[in-house]
Amino acid sequence: MTEAQASPSRTHAIFSPTRIWALARVTFTQLVRMKVFYFMLIFCAVVIGATFIFLEYSFEEELKLIKDVSLGAMQLFATIFAIVGTALLLPRDLEDRTLYTILCKPVPRLEYLLGKLLGVLLLIAISLVLMDVLFTAVLFAKQSAIAARTEEALALKGASELEIARTLEIIAKQGVTWNLLNGVAAIFMKSCVAAAVALMVSTFASSTLFTIIVSFVVYFVGHIQALARDFWLGGMITDTVERLIAVVVSLLFPDFQLFNIVDGVVAGEPVPLLTMAKLAGLTLVYLAVYNFAAFFVFADKEL
Amino acid sequence: MMAMMEPAPAVTVENLTKVFPLPLRREKVVAVRDLSLTVAAGEVYGLIGPNGSGKSTTMKVILGLIKPTRGRTAIFGKDSREVDSRQDVGFLPENPYFYKYLSGEETLAFYGRLCGLSGKALRDRIQELLELVDLTHARDRRLGGYSKGMLQRIGLAQALVQSPRLVVLDEPTAGVDPAGSRKIRDLIFELKERGISVILSSHLLEQVQEVCDRVGIIFKGDLVREGRLEDLIAIEDQTEIILEGASPELIEKIRALAAEEAGKSGTKLVSLGRPRTTLERLFLQETKGETKDEPEKR
Repeated sequence: MTEAQASPSRTHAIFSPTRIWALARVTFTQLVRMKVFYFMLIFCAVVIGATFIFLEYSFEEELKLIKDVSLGAMQLFATIFAIVGTALLLPRDLEDRTLYTILCKPVPRLEYLLGKLLGVLLLIAISLVLMDVLFTAVLFAKQSAIAARTEEALALKGASELEIARTLEIIAKQGVTWNLLNGVAAIFMKSCVAAAVALMVSTFASSTLFTIIVSFVVYFVGHIQALARDFWLGGMITDTVERLIAVVVSLLFPDFQLFNIVDGVVAGEPVPLLTMAKLAGLTLVYLAVYNFAAFFVFADKEL
Repeated sequence: MMAMMEPAPAVTVENLTKVFPLPLRREKVVAVRDLSLTVAAGEVYGLIGPNGSGKSTTMKVILGLIKPTRGRTAIFGKDSREVDSRQDVGFLPENPYFYKYLSGEETLAFYGRLCGLSGKALRDRIQELLELVDLTHARDRRLGGYSKGMLQRIGLAQALVQSPRLVVLDEPTAGVDPAGSRKIRDLIFELKERGISVILSSHLLEQVQEVCDRVGIIFKGDLVREGRLEDLIAIEDQTEIILEGASPELIEKIRALAAEEAGKSGTKLVSLGRPRTTLERLFLQETKGETKDEPEKR
């Protein structure tokens, strides 16, 4: 019997998590094997290490500085990678004709988009976890050193045990806490939305550069979306053009400012669980909306 | 007794028209015009034509990558626009670049998983395909280090990963040296022996002539000629006799006989001489054993 005759008429799953996972794995592998990822890790490690040079500050400021620089570096890395990493995927697949070989297999276009996005998010998540581990270790080491140094100094001054305990408590509050994870989670969620925006833009963009530029514009405008929304809904604008701009910004752009809880986290302000749940919900809504829009454009795209 | 149902053709193209609008202009480009063709199951079909004639557009519509403006295409009876139809088709595009950070084995595993293969079945299939395309030695090498010929062969392997009943090859030998080209030609013959239908688009007409059962010629979006190869290329009023070991005397006798007949029945001796080998065969004969799979700069 020939091979062709032997091939049964195969059934095809309309939606397959296995296929999405296969695409995500390859995307993840592809991105990991690009040298830029390792460079970013080294960059973050250098930034975190550099925080040790500010020794003239008070212990509170020293710890705050480490948190500020580290979370800032994580934010920068995650945003750049979410936008640039995602912007590279679809145009490059199209340019290299790799897209043809993938979509000629029984792969629905929605699965292709989801797989690509999942691969980028997986990479951002893993790299944030790695950076968080490094950051926590550095912060804990610094916190322990400050605590030992302060305890010794206070004992020499003849401070009471209560006074020493209170000081150590203040140091602990500025050191490693579970609240820091909320800051990292918010950075991740913000990156997820930025990546979804970049993927959507790449479905109709003519080049990688265009995708990157437009995505960064959306990212920055997204930080003033709340302002535009307030102007629009508050009826503060009377000019038609200005009103139109406010409506467009309010409806099409994501509200990135909502995810900016890092400053509070650095200051040691606890983030309520409800706030995190709301952010997670909002992230899922943005992902659904931007993925749907991406699919809407990509489904009919002539390749 | 139930009548035997005729198997669905591998490919059906009915009155296909594809028009591309030009951005920011009123004009439109008609890439393919009212094209109809059928590729039978197990047949090797050659689609030939100059650059820009509509070959690639036709193939893309068949594969569901672009939508027809008018008409329809089907693969084994299933409409090309349905994702389901792609279970039975493998495609090798012209000058493919796969993910260069993946090895040959990882590439095949990726495409296999997209087709629902996993575990031992996938591992066995990868091994089988690497042997088929003669890339077992380069299975762990990243594709960034593959030569053009090796890329074409790994491309062919990925096209075959789910054991499709139809394979579409767009210029499979473009930029490949004669030895690599010969390997790909042999693989097409092997597919044919296995009963797999093939649509081949190539500018190498000699190769098309060698492997195809039927040929369609597209020119400016129209299918201008189509048919069985031997019917298309046969010269109706001429007869070829090839002799081996014929003496000069015998040749002379034939020549005299033909000259004698010329006066009576209008028979004319058109040519008499030694048949020639092709340049490709001569090149391969002279460079036998000299070509290796060396990576080239990309």
